[in-house]
Amino acid sequence: MTQYRTQVKIIADVLSTARDMNVEGNGVGITALLRRGNMSYGRMTKLLSELVGSGLLTELSGDKISKYMISDKGVQFLTAYHSFEDFAQSFGLRL
Amino acid sequence: MPMQSDMVLIADMLQFIGVFVSFSIAYVAYRGVRQIESSSLLRLATAFVFLGFGFLVEALVGLDQFVSFLPITATVIVIGGLLLETTGYFFLAFSHAVDVMLSKRLGPVLMLFPVLTLSLTQLQNVLSFFAFYFVLYGVVETVHSYSKNKRPDTLLIALGLGLISSGIFFQWLSLLYQYVGVLSLLQIILQEMGLLILFTPVLGFARRGVKLDDTI
Repeated sequence: MTQYRTQVKIIADVLSTARDMNVEGNGVGITALLRRGNMSYGRMTKLLSELVGSGLLTELSGDKISKYMISDKGVQFLTAYHSFEDFAQSFGLRL
Repeated sequence: MPMQSDMVLIADMLQFIGVFVSFSIAYVAYRGVRQIESSSLLRLATAFVFLGFGFLVEALVGLDQFVSFLPITATVIVIGGLLLETTGYFFLAFSHAVDVMLSKRLGPVLMLFPVLTLSLTQLQNVLSFFAFYFVLYGVVETVHSYSKNKRPDTLLIALGLGLISSGIFFQWLSLLYQYVGVLSLLQIILQEMGLLILFTPVLGFARRGVKLDDTI
């Protein structure tokens, strides 16, 4: 069954992608984030600038395209997210 | 009757456990709101803040029978406490209703609502009825969540909510019949057992050593 994602779930998904796909340590491009994030380009760029602004992602500016890397604060957010997700799921709720 | 007053005292002490459990759950949920700005946790925190204050009011009314200190009549305060409690259960049910809307399916139990009828002669009766209905809805939705996520702790929470709904049912009966002492004690015991079960996710937090004082 299709389920709507809440804003906090979308943020957690983007941060997880930025963490998991950054295997070489030089960040993740917007194309990879879009593929895994399942949202429009416009919405993704707006979200990315918000996440960079709030310090959850770090923007690595290259020659042509920007790449994104999860920050320490982002890792902290994901840890907290998973703990509270577990807590909410115990009550049969989704974050 | 001394035995009846003992039961009232025990029931009253148990209410304070309810206050502690409710505020603990509300606190953990509130930390979640602060840290990850989750609206689900906000509704959960709101529900348990109302429940906590509801139990506190009822506990204070119970204490007033032994040490008179309340300025207005107990009935008015009991209704206030019940109102708070029912609002808490409403938010609990509302959390599930929002979850249902997000998963694009209808809440079949909500549709049963017009079928159930009750005499509106007493406000206490009505409030107990609504509280019972909201918790029952919570039970059904939690069992439904369990059928999807297969987490044993979700089933445990459903059991806890089931015990609370049984407690409210006995509370309702105690308003209608004369066995007030026994029914009240039974109600409180069931309700407190249910609340202690709801406390397990909070214990899980403590066991995993999750820090709750960080702001992200």
